[in-house]
Amino acid sequence: MDAIATSKPYQRKSVPNGVLAMILLLVTEAMLYGGLISAYIVNRAGATVWPPPDQPRLPVEVTGVNTLILLSSAVVLFLFNKRINKVGKLDAKSTNILLITILLGATFLTIQGTEWARLIGYGLTTHSSIYGAFFYTLIGAHGLHVFAGLCILFYLYFSIRKARLNGSVGQASTFEIAKNKISTCILYWYFVVAIWPILYRLVYFN
Amino acid sequence: MENLHQNKSFWSKYVFSTDHKTIGTQYMIMGMIMAGVGGYLAYVFRYNLAFPGKSIPFYGMLGPQAYNAFVTIHGMIMVFWVGMPVLLSALGNYLIPIMIGSDDMAFPTVNMLSFWIFAVSALVLIASFFVPGGAFGGGWTMYPPFSAQGYVNHNPNFFTALFSGTSLLILAVALELVAMLMGGINFLVTTINKRAKGMTPWRIPVIIWFINIAAVIFMFSVGPLVAGAFMLLFDNVLGTGFYDPHRGGDPMLWEHLFWFFGHPEVYVLLLPSLGVLAEIVPVFSRKPLFAYKTVIYLALLSAFLSVLVWAHHQFVAGIDPRMATFFSIGTILISIPFAGIFLSYMATLWGGSIRMKLPMLWAIGFIGLFLVGGLTGLFLGSNTFDIYAHDTYFVVAHFHYTLFPDIFFGFFAAFYYWFPKFTGKELNAKLGKWHFWLTFIFFNGVFFLLFFNGLAGQHRRINDYSSFSLISREPYQTFEQIATVCAIGLMLSQFIFLYNFITSFRKGKKAVKNPWESTTLEWQSDSPPPHGNFNPYPEVHRGAYDYSLPEAKEDFTPQNVPNVN
Repeated sequence: MDAIATSKPYQRKSVPNGVLAMILLLVTEAMLYGGLISAYIVNRAGATVWPPPDQPRLPVEVTGVNTLILLSSAVVLFLFNKRINKVGKLDAKSTNILLITILLGATFLTIQGTEWARLIGYGLTTHSSIYGAFFYTLIGAHGLHVFAGLCILFYLYFSIRKARLNGSVGQASTFEIAKNKISTCILYWYFVVAIWPILYRLVYFN
Repeated sequence: MENLHQNKSFWSKYVFSTDHKTIGTQYMIMGMIMAGVGGYLAYVFRYNLAFPGKSIPFYGMLGPQAYNAFVTIHGMIMVFWVGMPVLLSALGNYLIPIMIGSDDMAFPTVNMLSFWIFAVSALVLIASFFVPGGAFGGGWTMYPPFSAQGYVNHNPNFFTALFSGTSLLILAVALELVAMLMGGINFLVTTINKRAKGMTPWRIPVIIWFINIAAVIFMFSVGPLVAGAFMLLFDNVLGTGFYDPHRGGDPMLWEHLFWFFGHPEVYVLLLPSLGVLAEIVPVFSRKPLFAYKTVIYLALLSAFLSVLVWAHHQFVAGIDPRMATFFSIGTILISIPFAGIFLSYMATLWGGSIRMKLPMLWAIGFIGLFLVGGLTGLFLGSNTFDIYAHDTYFVVAHFHYTLFPDIFFGFFAAFYYWFPKFTGKELNAKLGKWHFWLTFIFFNGVFFLLFFNGLAGQHRRINDYSSFSLISREPYQTFEQIATVCAIGLMLSQFIFLYNFITSFRKGKKAVKNPWESTTLEWQSDSPPPHGNFNPYPEVHRGAYDYSLPEAKEDFTPQNVPNVN
């Protein structure tokens, strides 16, 4: 009955499965942040004094530097992707560039962690005020996403390393799969980085 | 064909399977078990309403606290653990890969994971009955302050607050949403990337369109609910006070975040069922679906409108009257696309040569009952009437007239239609007819009279009206009793279905490949379809509803037939 008998299911290739799934996930993530941010904005608009006078102030300068660190991690990741596409293989220099991204991301997270520890010491906790509650929820949600992003980039780094070590890196099919994997993972990191300046502006500035 | 993948152990074949049909079955069975639990809860509180103060057979005495917990968890289960898995996950898993002519989902492992997360979420929900204080009883909408007292009640013990009925319910819902999200992404990627050659967008069967539109609505609206749910959880276990006005929070915030998801959710449940109807009505009328493209456009329009109507649940919460008018108009507007979709089904019936088989009975029953639910919805959409009817049995009857046909009639229509395909066995048609008529009659017996109770002012969260002599006067208490007797009848009728299911599955007559003479791709595969569904994979040459083509010899032309001559 069939005009052309095919033994394999048809697969469209214009957007790889992983990238498409990541885009859909990120739309949902954007709506999650939309919910959190709109809750924050509505609450803040209704408050008589913001921030509450008895609560510690947030570290604007340190976090500003930290913002630059996170943004530069995305720039490095962009260069990594560009280089991969240019040289057409996964060479040692590319993987090192990827490692720099991971280090920058980890630095961001470490600085955030130290600042959190200081703020808790100053008396800003989840139940000290709604100011603290929103701070920890919004920034904590982002921190968790950065952590997940680091895990994803680590996974990417080690899977590339494995391919380089077992020699399958030279094959065209491996490169194609790796490229799809890279596109999927870096999309997530771009999202995590892109959402940060919005949160920084909204939460840290009064 | 005997596939290479057949020689697997019991565990990898039936339990931790990545095959879309097995996962669909797992979702369906899980949904049926949860429907049993939800039905049992309904039986207990319905019995209590009809005969207050009496000991309930198979339960005992029901206090006011337990009554509210039962009503709450009944609603939760029926929406999140029956409607979602059965309509979205089971139908989506069964049908998407095979109806688009592919072998499996785009991410089979994620699909398996999705089911097991769902199973865990069901366990967490059931567990919430057995923690100190019992299950949450503040209504399935979980409005604060009832739902945000964990920190106050258990202060400062983090773990008692975490393992309270409220927190477990929030966690269960969050896990369930994660499972559905994984499923939804899978559906969309599969439909976009794995369609058979020649399956252009306008050749995709309506049900596949509708399940995917439902997945999009779900993914668009679920984020704010997850945000709100985490804030509610933090209120309970960390004492954040997001919803506590004493501490600068706002309980209305939860209502907005909840209903921003909660209302689109009913369209997430409705669209897959309407898709089932779009498959069944043309097959049993032997006519192409009337206005196929318009139906798709109408569903897209309803998806757009669905995120603009949520505050009609909050008319009595003190929202700005100007805003209430906006949401009233939006609510009444959204009935237009659905009226259009139903009109298309009725126009498909018009002048068709109708075959009154079992799936068709359920489909027509669905259309009839949903009309009652839809029309009473128009009343409630108007904020002036809603202020009177809010939280009464009128609302209860209204949403049961929409959700019961949607979840159960839609599911049974699909079940009786696709059972021969996926099991290779035929169902007993006589038992099926008994099942249909008893369900149809008893369902109306339960809910039709409750409209009058609601108009008389009976409120749904009162477990015993005997001390309210003005409201519990006759005939309303008799109506409650009729409703309860019918509810018990309704539940008992489902045993006919179970019996039919099991006996037909075990020793039913062998079904042919295409018993209903349908055109879509799943019927062109074997019954039951092997692992991988097709060999060779089909190429699509025409739309999904080519019935009674004048130039064709038979009155149906399957999608993979290149030319009719």
